[in-house]
Amino acid sequence: MPLQPGSYALGPDDATLTVKTERKGAAAKAGHDLVIDVTSWSATLDVGAEPSATALSLTADSRSLRVRAGTGGMTSLGDEEKAAIAQTIDDEILEGAPIEFRSSGVEAGVDGGLRVTGDLAIGDARHPVAFDLAVDGDGRLTGGARLLQTDWGIKPYSALFGALKVADEVEVVVDATLPAGAAA
Amino acid sequence: MVELDHSFSTGKPTDYNWEAIRDLDRIIPCVAGGSVVERTGPTTAKAEIKVKMGAMSMTFAGTVEVVEADEDAHRAMLRVKSREVGGAGYANADVTFALTDGGGTIHTAAQISGKAASMGEGVVVGVLDGLIQDFTTKLQAI
Repeated sequence: MPLQPGSYALGPDDATLTVKTERKGAAAKAGHDLVIDVTSWSATLDVGAEPSATALSLTADSRSLRVRAGTGGMTSLGDEEKAAIAQTIDDEILEGAPIEFRSSGVEAGVDGGLRVTGDLAIGDARHPVAFDLAVDGDGRLTGGARLLQTDWGIKPYSALFGALKVADEVEVVVDATLPAGAAA
Repeated sequence: MVELDHSFSTGKPTDYNWEAIRDLDRIIPCVAGGSVVERTGPTTAKAEIKVKMGAMSMTFAGTVEVVEADEDAHRAMLRVKSREVGGAGYANADVTFALTDGGGTIHTAAQISGKAASMGEGVVVGVLDGLIQDFTTKLQAI
C-alpha cells in the first residue's frame, strides 16, 4: 500500500534508529559486534502525491547513542561496559558532532518502497548517501544504509595498538511505524 | 616465550639515558596504561598496567625491578612480574636495555598466560610489538 500524502513526524517514540558495528583485526575475538540505539532524534517525512515530491529530513543527537547489545568477545558486555562504550563514542569518535540528513531526491523503489538520496552531515563533514526504504501495508517503514566512517573523516575506533578495530563500514537501520492519522 | 627486539632514539647523551631507564618513576609511565603503585626500594616498585580492549580492559599488577645494571656497558635489565587482577593469567618479562649514544636497543623476553594468551601467539606478538613501539616513542620525551 503506498504511503498516504502528508507530513509524518518520526522519533524514538514510534521508531528505532540503530547503528550496527562489526569488529575486525587480529584480536577481533576480544571485541564485540555492537547494536547501538540512537535515543534522541527526530525526522520528518513529507510524502507528496508522487515519490519525486517526497522529502525526508532527520537530525540526531550524537551524544544519545546507547549500546543495546554486543555479541562475541571474551566476556559478555555488562551495563558498565556498555556505558563505557557510549562514553568512548562521545569522547573519541563522534565528539558530540551534530548529525543531520536531508534528502535531495526520492524515487519510487521496489514494491512500493522509496529510493532516497541526500546528504548526511556529521559535524562539518558532509557526504552523499543513498538508501532504500520499504513500506508495508501497515505503514511500517524499514530500511538502512551502509556507511564508511572515514567518508566523514571519522577514524574508526581501535585498541590494542590496532589489533582490535571497529570496521570502517557501519550499518544504520531505521524501523518506523508511521503514526496513524498523523498525516496532515 | 615471546622475544622481541626494538631500537629507540632519544637524541640525548648516554649518561642521561642511563639514569632515565633505571628511574622506575619515569620509565613505568612510558608504558601505555602503566603506572607506579608504590616505590618499594631504589630499584624496585609495585606497578600495574591496564590494557584496554574496547569496552573491556585487563589489569596486570605486580613488581618491576632493576635486576642488572652494568654501568660500564650501559646495559640494564628490568624484570616485570605481574598477575591479572581478577583472573588467573600472568604477564612476566625481562626487558634488557643496551644503550648507545643517543638511544639504544631493547630486548624483550615475555611470558604471558590466561585470557590474553588465549587470543593466540600471533595476536600476543602483535600487541606486544605495538606496546613496545609506543614505549620507544615515549622514551624520546623522557
